Amino acid sequence: MSLPETLFDYEAHIATCARGERQALRDLYVQESPRLLGVAKRLVRDTALAEDIVHDAFIKIWKGAAQFDPARGSARGWMFSLTRHLALNFIRDNSREIQGDFDEVADTATFDAQAHSGRIHQCLEQLEPARRACILHAYVDGYSHAEISHKLGTPLGTVKAWIKRSLTALRECMG
Amino acid sequence: MISKPTNETPEERDELASEYVLGTLSAELRTQVQQRLRDEPELRSAVDAWERRLLGLADLAGPHTPSPHLWQRIERSVNNVTRPPSPIAAQSLSWWNLLPLWRGLAGAGLAATLLLGALMLTQTTVKPTYLVVLVGPQDKAPGWVIQASNPREIQLIPLGVIEVPADKALEFWTKADGWQGPVSLGLVKPGQTLSIPLDKLPPLQPNQLFELTLENPQGSPIGKPTGPIQFIGRAVKVI
Repeated sequence: MSLPETLFDYEAHIATCARGERQALRDLYVQESPRLLGVAKRLVRDTALAEDIVHDAFIKIWKGAAQFDPARGSARGWMFSLTRHLALNFIRDNSREIQGDFDEVADTATFDAQAHSGRIHQCLEQLEPARRACILHAYVDGYSHAEISHKLGTPLGTVKAWIKRSLTALRECMG
Repeated sequence: MISKPTNETPEERDELASEYVLGTLSAELRTQVQQRLRDEPELRSAVDAWERRLLGLADLAGPHTPSPHLWQRIERSVNNVTRPPSPIAAQSLSWWNLLPLWRGLAGAGLAATLLLGALMLTQTTVKPTYLVVLVGPQDKAPGWVIQASNPREIQLIPLGVIEVPADKALEFWTKADGWQGPVSLGLVKPGQTLSIPLDKLPPLQPNQLFELTLENPQGSPIGKPTGPIQFIGRAVKVI
């Protein structure tokens, strides 16, 4: 079973991985693999592919543990970034079809920002709903500009401008 | 190698970093960013900041339980990864590697004794409230001790003389939980004992991170660590 994030020392486990102790990687896996798989599956929309991504992510964690620098960000954040970028590289390299199960997945995709605490969610609340949807579809679903434009029925140029301005607003809000 | 466009402004760089982290860049631009990240500390620092800002959104995806085979696959692959043998890993160790800690504390004890002697000469009795042992990230050998007798000033004490390449300098950094990024405490010469006032920073906290990185002789050009970590440790409150 995984512990609440605040009770699990991610950094100590990464440091122990760096010393070659397999059990630390196992503990990180037990702690975080369901959430990492959730993130990967939402991006690549296929369970087997998502498991491949998480597999590759844990190998990267194992190999990269000694180079991990806690000054650059949290150990937990590092694990998520690593997994997201593997999945994003995959979907961009394989330029996913816009058709297919796109609409079905998108419609079941619910965003309940209010159920989540944290600064980013408060800042998102301040964006107009359509602009907020652009940011969430991009980050959580891995939609490209074109996919977001298709999904929202909004011109591509407008989507690009919305995203650019929303990111600026988020940076100002979050500091 | 893809080098950065010569006319790129910091705003354009931050925009690129933000869309890289958000995920909206094309495959081609993603590859370019990933290549530039290897040797552009400014871009790396911008990407790191965006990763921290947006991380909270990852929770929205919802967890998905992996199949029972996934761990076995990972374990098999890990067995095939060849790693340079680590001298510490070869020994039988408990969860935390105690030897360097004790070595460090022994060094700190010696340093504290010397300091106490010095303090007795100056007729002051001060008890350290925080202690940090800075160890090498790979070999965990202690190199420096930091002690603070009040949360507003720290002493950095070398446990030996270390080698720094002629064209490089050691820069001292700290970051407490919840800070956006590390803050520079200035350049440090190998073997130098330093007293550093923390008057521009919040008081010391337990678990506060300290590190020494290898930077250019004038220090990091961007105010964030860019070079490899030489020594690292966290503050422990002394009871």
